[in-house]
Amino acid sequence: MINLNANVNTVLPNINPQIPVSRNGNADAKKLDFDNTIKTIEKCISKVDELQQASDTSMKDLLAGKNEDIISVVSAVAKADMSFKLLVGIRNKLIEAYKQTMNMPL
Amino acid sequence: MEVNNTFGPIDIAISGLRAQGKQMEVISSNVANARTTDAGNGQPYRRLEAVFKTSDDDVGGVSLDRILVDRSEFPRIFDPANPEADEHGYVAMPNVNLPIEMMNLTVATRTYQANAAVLKRYQQMVETTLELLR
Repeated sequence: MINLNANVNTVLPNINPQIPVSRNGNADAKKLDFDNTIKTIEKCISKVDELQQASDTSMKDLLAGKNEDIISVVSAVAKADMSFKLLVGIRNKLIEAYKQTMNMPL
Repeated sequence: MEVNNTFGPIDIAISGLRAQGKQMEVISSNVANARTTDAGNGQPYRRLEAVFKTSDDDVGGVSLDRILVDRSEFPRIFDPANPEADEHGYVAMPNVNLPIEMMNLTVATRTYQANAAVLKRYQQMVETTLELLR
């Protein structure tokens, strides 16, 4: 997803020759790639949020006495917990990557 | 059900928990009515048995198919003082056998525990996978 290919020549032929090859155009292509990553993560977050909401409502229903099925609560909580742990893992990796990039000596 | 599904094992284990809960319900009905001589139709209570099914030829959870009645004969006990007794002094009792119900109860409990253990182990497995991210 993130284009980590440092070889600029592989990217250059893809750029329309009518547009003058500039550093700006290259940055745009890379930005698009990162945008895609962000969009994917956004989707992932909204999915995790959905599961969290489902687990929340099922727990609230249980406490309010609307629903007496503990097993469905267990299932919703297990799913929400699992997906949230995955999200946290990915987030930690992303932050780590960001830190490593920022600490790169230039 | 798809095989390659992250939440598949959870759903299957949960369906097992539910099925054993139903089984427990049937057993409790049998035990509670072990001495019900009139089940509303003039006959003693007939023992019930839960039948489970799975989606055919596929990986999937279990679900309650139907609840069948035990058609075996009613045992007759000699109790002339009972108002329900016939002219020979015999009373028809429900065909519930308590030791059998107790065995079924143990099986249902252990199966429930096994499904809960599967759920727990699967969560541990996923956590082990996520540790690789660190």
